[in-house]
Amino acid sequence: MTLRSSLAAFAGKSSYRFLHDVLHRGGTSFPGGLALKIDPAVLTTLAKNYEVIIITGTNGKTLTTNLTVKALRPAFPHILTNPSGSNMMQGIVTAFLTNRKTKNGKQLAVIETDEANVPLISQYVSPKAYVFTNLFRDQLDRYGEIYTTYNKILKGVRMHPDALIIANGDAPIFNSVDLPNKIVYYGFADQPDEIQDAPANTDGLLCPQCHHILRYKELVYGNLGKYFCPHCDFHRPVLTYQVTAITNQTPQSSTFMINDHEINLHIGGTYNIYNALAAYAVAREMGVSPEEIIHQLSADDKKVFGRQEVIHLDDKDVTLILVKNPVGLDQVLQMIKTDNEPFSLAVLLNANYADGIDTSWIWDGRFEDLPFERIPSVLTGGERYRDITFRLRVAGVPEEHFAHKENLKDVVAAIKQMPTKHVYVLATYTAVLQLRALLASEGYINGEMK
Amino acid sequence: MKYELHLTHLYGNLLNTYSDIGNILTLQYYAKQMDTHITPEVVSLDQQFDPNSTDLVLFGGGQDLEQKVVSDDIQAKKDAIIRYIEADGPMLAVCGGYQLLGEYYVGADGTKIKGIHALDHRTETQENNRFIGDIKIKNAETGQIYHGFENHNGMTFLGKGERPLGQVIEGHGNNGQDGTEGAIHKNTFCTYFHGPVLARNGELAKRLLITALKRKYPDADLSAAEALEIKPTY
Repeated sequence: MTLRSSLAAFAGKSSYRFLHDVLHRGGTSFPGGLALKIDPAVLTTLAKNYEVIIITGTNGKTLTTNLTVKALRPAFPHILTNPSGSNMMQGIVTAFLTNRKTKNGKQLAVIETDEANVPLISQYVSPKAYVFTNLFRDQLDRYGEIYTTYNKILKGVRMHPDALIIANGDAPIFNSVDLPNKIVYYGFADQPDEIQDAPANTDGLLCPQCHHILRYKELVYGNLGKYFCPHCDFHRPVLTYQVTAITNQTPQSSTFMINDHEINLHIGGTYNIYNALAAYAVAREMGVSPEEIIHQLSADDKKVFGRQEVIHLDDKDVTLILVKNPVGLDQVLQMIKTDNEPFSLAVLLNANYADGIDTSWIWDGRFEDLPFERIPSVLTGGERYRDITFRLRVAGVPEEHFAHKENLKDVVAAIKQMPTKHVYVLATYTAVLQLRALLASEGYINGEMK
Repeated sequence: MKYELHLTHLYGNLLNTYSDIGNILTLQYYAKQMDTHITPEVVSLDQQFDPNSTDLVLFGGGQDLEQKVVSDDIQAKKDAIIRYIEADGPMLAVCGGYQLLGEYYVGADGTKIKGIHALDHRTETQENNRFIGDIKIKNAETGQIYHGFENHNGMTFLGKGERPLGQVIEGHGNNGQDGTEGAIHKNTFCTYFHGPVLARNGELAKRLLITALKRKYPDADLSAAEALEIKPTY
């Protein structure tokens, strides 16, 4: 450890202790930022005694990271991980700074990493493995196009040809570039082959080899599935870890088989099955037994599943779900459809920087597929309520069941009056924050963001 | 329904990045109120575009790679598309589709990518900058105000035989210099607007639909469709 990096680490740790113990603040990025100012390479020193697993991709990073930590825990009781949202350099450095080290040997770090930060992080640590969940179109005004994003990730990976890659095999982009690394793939194999095309508004359908349109033998959602090119030999790689059957799905849970072991996951959504599958793949590669992983992933855990929380608003069970990009939104719609009981729906749209300032993505969610006959009340709200109102009007929401409120106070009041016990609230990032703050001030939840 | 319009979604499986599906859904929404059924069909790589069997064309935008691939393929459809445009066929072209109808555009990496030169504009690139944000324009003929969201690196300069879709009130428009946004030539409407453009601007959707209906059903009494009131959505 150089003098400079010890000083950096000391300053970072002290500032964390001051923020945390004296001011009682979380301090998720400031200590890292301070340490980086003193020594930009401080992460090399901090991560020296860790085996690092980097998890990246557009959707599902946080839950995949949490599930991976859970699945690994039987074999690795002390795992360093970074809290949700702290997935850039400063936040990651803070996570290392504040981790209490154990004395004995190498430790494991499972790090959720923002796609664009992968090369930077890779400059200072030697990851044991990279996990690629997916790359979807995500707020183009901020992130740009998926090929650009993948090239950024690869810039980091190319520094570490010995690192293992654990990738979603159903995503064509992760099979588009030859790499010296060992790659294991995971994916879905729960349906019999049936040749089909992805819907017209799907992104990323070009064959990377010959630039024709990919077709599918099984299509999971978006451009994920058992793809093949009808013009050349490009096709989905062999899967090492696969979902072999899905036996039950509700908005709160999924039961499915991975490599013929049954998992009962306490969160709904096909996209979360992918997240669990990624966690299974990582844990298997790290030597955890299938039985232990299944036990871990099947256990209920409020902390892990916090992103999809149920809030009790008087007599209503309100499920609050963050939506941020087209594929994510569409998957949430497919998930709430699996509710067997009548339910009400509120969609809250903001367009601040953190939400994406372009609201056009709401058109790629298939609201048309919702069972409006079982949805006696639909509400739109948020700063851009006009955009989402027209979207839902076009989708066919009957006017007599449709209301609009710009102000979130009025939204909350209206939700309390909804005619069903089950209420789903789909909201963009800043709308979630505003709504939670409001509900906290009214005493329905405590103020901490999970 | 009384009327039927066949909509060609040009390269809909490649150029769909800016939620162009919203333009189709919006057209269907207003068409229904005009007693009109719309059947959309994607015409993409290696497929023929038949100007005689289509009543309405939508041409969206995509990522760089996809647009490059389309630029190569569309040369084989060039004559058919020009014939359709010159025969007053209604068309909406957004972002990449707008650029590809012109002479050429320069990609973000500096390479010149060929359009089909159906319209006379050309698109240059600006270094390390994009025009991003809400935009508002005014159409000179109708006085209508259009709202949208723009996000483009390209700087488009109009040529002869085309006039802008509108004059910029707020935002950047075609090139950030001459105060124009989009292009109109015959019944072809071009724009950089997301939103998607028709969702925010129902009057433009109505104009496309009425044009298509009049062209397909020249003897029909379309007064009810023309009287359709478009409520503000933005």
